[in-house]
Amino acid sequence: MSIRGFFEKHSHHFHGQGRLAPLKPLYEAVENFMLSPLSRTKSAPHVRDPLDVKRYMSMVIIGLLPAALAGWYFFGLRVLAMIAVSYAIGGAIEVAFAVVRKEEINEGFLVTGLLFPMILPPTLPLWMVALGVAFGVLVGKELFGGTGRNLFNPALIGRCFLAIAYPTAMASYLDPVKAWPGRLFQWAGSALSDATTNPTPLSQAKRVIAGGGELTPISDLLWGSVSGSVGETSAILLIVGGVFLLLTRVGNYRTTVSMLGAFAILESILHLADPGRFVGPLWHLLAGGMLLGAFFMATDPVTGPVTGGGKWVYGALIGVSAALIRNLTGYVEGVMFAILLGNIFAPVIDEVFIRRRLAALARQDVIAPERGQPPGQQGNVWFEGKANEEAAQQ
Amino acid sequence: MKKVRGGYDIRLAGRPSRTIQQIVPPQRLLLPRRTRRFLFGQACVEEGARVKAGDVLARDGKNFDLPLVAPMGGTVSWTAQADHAVLGELEPPACEEQATPVHAPSGGETAAKRRQLVDLGAWAFVEDAYSGKLPDPQGTPAAVIVSTLRLEPYQARGDVQMMESLLGFIRGLEHLQSLLEYQPIYLLFPNVRSEFAQQVRQQLRGHAWIKLVEVPLLYPHDNMLLCARRLGFRRDQIVWTLGPDAVLAVDAALTHGRSVSSRVISLGGPGVKVPVHLRVTFGHPLEELTAGRLEESECRVINGGALNGYDATAAGQLGVDIECQGLTIVPENVERELLGWTRPGLDRRSYSNSYLSALRGSFDERMTTAMRGERRPCISCSFCEEVCPTGVMPHLIHKLLYADRLEDVERSRVDLCMDCGLCAFVCPSKIELREDMHEARRRIETELHAAEEH
Repeated sequence: MSIRGFFEKHSHHFHGQGRLAPLKPLYEAVENFMLSPLSRTKSAPHVRDPLDVKRYMSMVIIGLLPAALAGWYFFGLRVLAMIAVSYAIGGAIEVAFAVVRKEEINEGFLVTGLLFPMILPPTLPLWMVALGVAFGVLVGKELFGGTGRNLFNPALIGRCFLAIAYPTAMASYLDPVKAWPGRLFQWAGSALSDATTNPTPLSQAKRVIAGGGELTPISDLLWGSVSGSVGETSAILLIVGGVFLLLTRVGNYRTTVSMLGAFAILESILHLADPGRFVGPLWHLLAGGMLLGAFFMATDPVTGPVTGGGKWVYGALIGVSAALIRNLTGYVEGVMFAILLGNIFAPVIDEVFIRRRLAALARQDVIAPERGQPPGQQGNVWFEGKANEEAAQQ
Repeated sequence: MKKVRGGYDIRLAGRPSRTIQQIVPPQRLLLPRRTRRFLFGQACVEEGARVKAGDVLARDGKNFDLPLVAPMGGTVSWTAQADHAVLGELEPPACEEQATPVHAPSGGETAAKRRQLVDLGAWAFVEDAYSGKLPDPQGTPAAVIVSTLRLEPYQARGDVQMMESLLGFIRGLEHLQSLLEYQPIYLLFPNVRSEFAQQVRQQLRGHAWIKLVEVPLLYPHDNMLLCARRLGFRRDQIVWTLGPDAVLAVDAALTHGRSVSSRVISLGGPGVKVPVHLRVTFGHPLEELTAGRLEESECRVINGGALNGYDATAAGQLGVDIECQGLTIVPENVERELLGWTRPGLDRRSYSNSYLSALRGSFDERMTTAMRGERRPCISCSFCEEVCPTGVMPHLIHKLLYADRLEDVERSRVDLCMDCGLCAFVCPSKIELREDMHEARRRIETELHAAEEH
């Protein structure tokens, strides 16, 4: 039986008086996942761009995949289990809310479900993954009305919750296996059983500054053979995936560029001021969650500003806060708090830029020709010059 | 040079070639009494009356008694089709020399010339830039804008219409100038060094009163409202806008004292086998026009372009109306693709670069009427803002409208919108932004401003 036939045969259960009518959102999501909808345009424009939200979100997933695979390679099969748990719980909550609200299921959880394990320590017990994603999706998203209406990045809310509730587990990291085949076929134990607390490059840096040990070499940061959260270690793969995201235009370059730029500038200033206390900007860019945050978290269009100018300010705000938290506070990593802080400010930033835009628009119609002269003779003629010159020459 | 804001070429398959095809004259004419701007409500001839080419069939009382002119001689029926004037038992068209009354007003009399334009129906092709309505023929415009381009896929190309009779076009411009005092005539021009552009420049040598204005070849920068605004005209000013066919109609009316009975329209879009330009008589039945020219599948016949036109069948139009610029044929969506959203997409062109086609050079895409996705809440991707040529923020207006904040919607300048439809085209959440903008303007008009008056 063809897939289309299958859906046609079972469709009636979910519609109208069907036995499973309450599950209609789930049914429709699955059907439209498998088969593109038959809907037609009802009014102009009669044709539409092929991009839809599914495709849009899947671009983020494709961009994240290299880093996720690196996580699997370095930290073992548990990573896959964490992703599976995150998707299962996050998806279940999304479905439950869609059913209760009688709304369609949104594809946003496809991104959250993958992004969330990427920012967790690879040794975290699976039940904590489940709890974290549940909290993140519930409080970070559904409370606000679901995808498109949330103020905060749900994955970061989930992580923030876990970091406060279970500080020990959230600070237990695993040393990566460098030699081939890594941990591709290994299951590394959970934090509670093995209690492996290896320093991440950033916590190591704090020790170095305090006067002991060596800084993690930049080459290790590039390849990712360092301890840290699942998806944040391999700088090269993050950059590859992130640049892909920017090229597709799904991630906006403004946020990423200004975030990394502001961060690098502030780190440079700090480093120049006191090289003994502050490590160089390149090292900081590649270490920790900076790249993951800049390419995949801050670019979330829903929780960031909409306006182009706002995106520059937003990125810069996050970059500066992240540098300040990393270097001048007791925390070793500041990207998560910096982005959440940015999320808080995003609506305010937008407000400022939208007001500016509206003020510019309000002037639009009033570009009055100078009085007394017929219009078109005041030099505000658009594109006129060249053509007239050429015509005169001939 | 001012930076161009927004705009996007959607590159629809079925671009009409430059050739103008002659077609078999129809057996009967179905003249729609309802067009986009007009309603020819007052019948001027009786049922069953015999009319000559050029006779007035009906008038639009709300638009300066604009006449609906019989394109050919025949027998009139008002009742055969609702909302249409049907002309049967057509006379073969007379030779051009013998055609109807010739009393071209000689010089001077501007008012008489203008009246003649109305009487012969040529005035129907003139549009006011801001209101989009028929301007008062006896009014004084701030300027006249003549466009040689039409960038929406697909309307009759300006250069095709113009090259048919370059001499008539220039003469028409001269006639237009004789209607004005000192007001300038702007000629919108593509900013390319094409042969066509050179040729017209040659012809216009010495016509210093025509100002050439270069316009980028990027939809919708040919839009008359947008151009009028860019040229510095305000909302309260009247700006006459004309296409090449309108200028030719002016020429026909004032040089030969003839009304126009046919027009070059485009027949394009992915549903057409051989996209071309056609010279059609007004009232040519759409069915005859499209018979044998369309693809096998079910197609939507759009009067106008794919972004802005309307479904002619749904509007009950049976023949080519006098405002028709072109017919765009788009196949209806009948296919459900398996895992469509995961396709690599070498053949689908997207404003975003999230399909493999981004690696490919420019190409025309064979689109259907598919929505290509499900309706979702706005994800603030800001694509609509990027493509908008006027600088308004469609996503903001959508959200404000949803929250019923009409005053704020008005402050967001929804009135600047000129209906190009690009916002709704690019929206990945498939929000009907073009409709939202319409609704916003309508509600501001009826609720906000009506309340103020009381």
